Amino acid sequence: MKVRSFFRYLVIILITLAIIFPVIWLVSTSFKNPVDIFAVPPIFIPGNPTTDHYATLFFEADIFKYILNSVIVASITTLVSLLAGTLAAYSLARFKFPLNLNFHLSFWVLSTRMFPPIVTIIPLFAMMRFFGLVNTRIGLILAYSAFNLPFVVWMMRGFFMEIPKELEEAAMVDGDSRMTAFRRIILPIAKPGLVATAVFTMILSWNEFLFALILSQTRAAATLPIGIASTVTQYEIKWGQMSAAGVIAVVPVLVFAFIVQRHLVRGMSFGAIKG
Amino acid sequence: MKTNSTRQLRISWFEKNIQWMLIVPTVILLLALTVYPLVYLVIGMFHTINIRTGERTFVGLGNFIEMVQDPFFWNAMKNTAIYTCSAVAIEFGLGLFLAVALSRRIVGRNIFRSLILTPMMLPPIVAAVIFKIIYMPDFGILNWFLALFGIEGIIWEASVNTALISLIIVDVWQWTPFMFLILLAGLQAIPLDPYEAAEVDGATGLQIFRDITFPLLKPAVLIALLLRIMDTFRIFDQIFIMTGGGPANATETMSIYIYRHGFRFSDVGYATAMSFVMLIITIMISNIFIKRLRTEEVF
Repeated sequence: MKVRSFFRYLVIILITLAIIFPVIWLVSTSFKNPVDIFAVPPIFIPGNPTTDHYATLFFEADIFKYILNSVIVASITTLVSLLAGTLAAYSLARFKFPLNLNFHLSFWVLSTRMFPPIVTIIPLFAMMRFFGLVNTRIGLILAYSAFNLPFVVWMMRGFFMEIPKELEEAAMVDGDSRMTAFRRIILPIAKPGLVATAVFTMILSWNEFLFALILSQTRAAATLPIGIASTVTQYEIKWGQMSAAGVIAVVPVLVFAFIVQRHLVRGMSFGAIKG
Repeated sequence: MKTNSTRQLRISWFEKNIQWMLIVPTVILLLALTVYPLVYLVIGMFHTINIRTGERTFVGLGNFIEMVQDPFFWNAMKNTAIYTCSAVAIEFGLGLFLAVALSRRIVGRNIFRSLILTPMMLPPIVAAVIFKIIYMPDFGILNWFLALFGIEGIIWEASVNTALISLIIVDVWQWTPFMFLILLAGLQAIPLDPYEAAEVDGATGLQIFRDITFPLLKPAVLIALLLRIMDTFRIFDQIFIMTGGGPANATETMSIYIYRHGFRFSDVGYATAMSFVMLIITIMISNIFIKRLRTEEVF
């Protein structure tokens, strides 16, 4: 029995190491001198670490512009999709629509999540061009808000359905209007869920690549993933800068992931599993 | 007095229709995201479209005839199928193993759990970047490691033979944690009573897994498989960075191929026709799962 549990630990530890090692390797590479990046045998902890790659990114490669675009796009997207999505979710969770529309609307919302992005992006690109929104942050924000909406609606719908109806009914008997009761009673209770949904929306927008690639080809709107992709050119790969840019993209995501730990199952399963 | 009463009237109208008012913004945004593209696709797939001038020429079923005869289209379909099936199968197997192993009481379980979950939060672009570094042919750490066991000279994503496998490895690394997360949550939600009853009745481990664990785990399994299949089927980011679909189209998936036609060759009509096919396949697969999920009462 002891031997078996020893082997179980060994296997778990080995798998965990295999999973976490690539991330550590990225961080380690980002602090290596060019010579050390190509060293054989590989150097695990650089003897004379350098911050040159980060300096190059900030002073020559304009990474700041990409970060700024990412931050602006991700935060406004989160605001817009949360505002629209939370209201819709509340409506779907609380009111009875005619013709079984509660079910059909919820399902339609869910089905939009199944649309492959490549399928929507060609028409979307044509539309954005028509309105002159290509290479603008507004265009990207509109696209991201729309594609994050299904997620927000499904998450918040689940959270609202867990709050007893009687709470706002009592407030409305006391003279509150529907919206006042929503704001005064329901929102504070749903706040943890709201925060989790917001953080997930941030992560999804921060990580998104395909829409950004097509809708923001110039520096005016290009986000961080585009900045990272630009270190891989047809002729050469700037290994040091590439890994440093990767680290910059990863740090906020890990902080966010830490915040939503408790809601991870729910967020990643599209609200289907209440974990 | 009069203005006051019209105002009151307006408020009560708003209050009366509040359920519609609340949902309208979302419906409009989603219409823009779904119905408009659908209309565009259905019109576009019967035309050739010049993306610069917006000029359309009707070609009837021309795009579809071209598709059937296009070996690269079938190549992309094949690659997508191989990628989706093998990545999801491996992730499911590994994820289930890890979930079962960590569902028991183990010292430091929460630390293992947090560490294991790291990759799935990363931007897919960064996962690709990480493996580009690891796969470096002459100076990469993976080839150095394999050389210790006498395996040498693999050029990973740069070779026709290993490129697709190299990309599947990246997917498995990033998304096994997701399978693990969902399945672990499913396992932990199973109540203990049926196990105790089964033990009293003298059921074997295999019987317990088949008759108790698996049926109760089914909703979690269905959700995990559905979301993963949808996401691998549309795979784009990692391939775009690592190989761009090469070498010699060995890693060209549907998304990459449609992208090339739509945005590189400006062959928008053909791209929309392929998009339509991809959409139909997506709808068919997700319908199978959603029907099952409804009988399991998850949705």
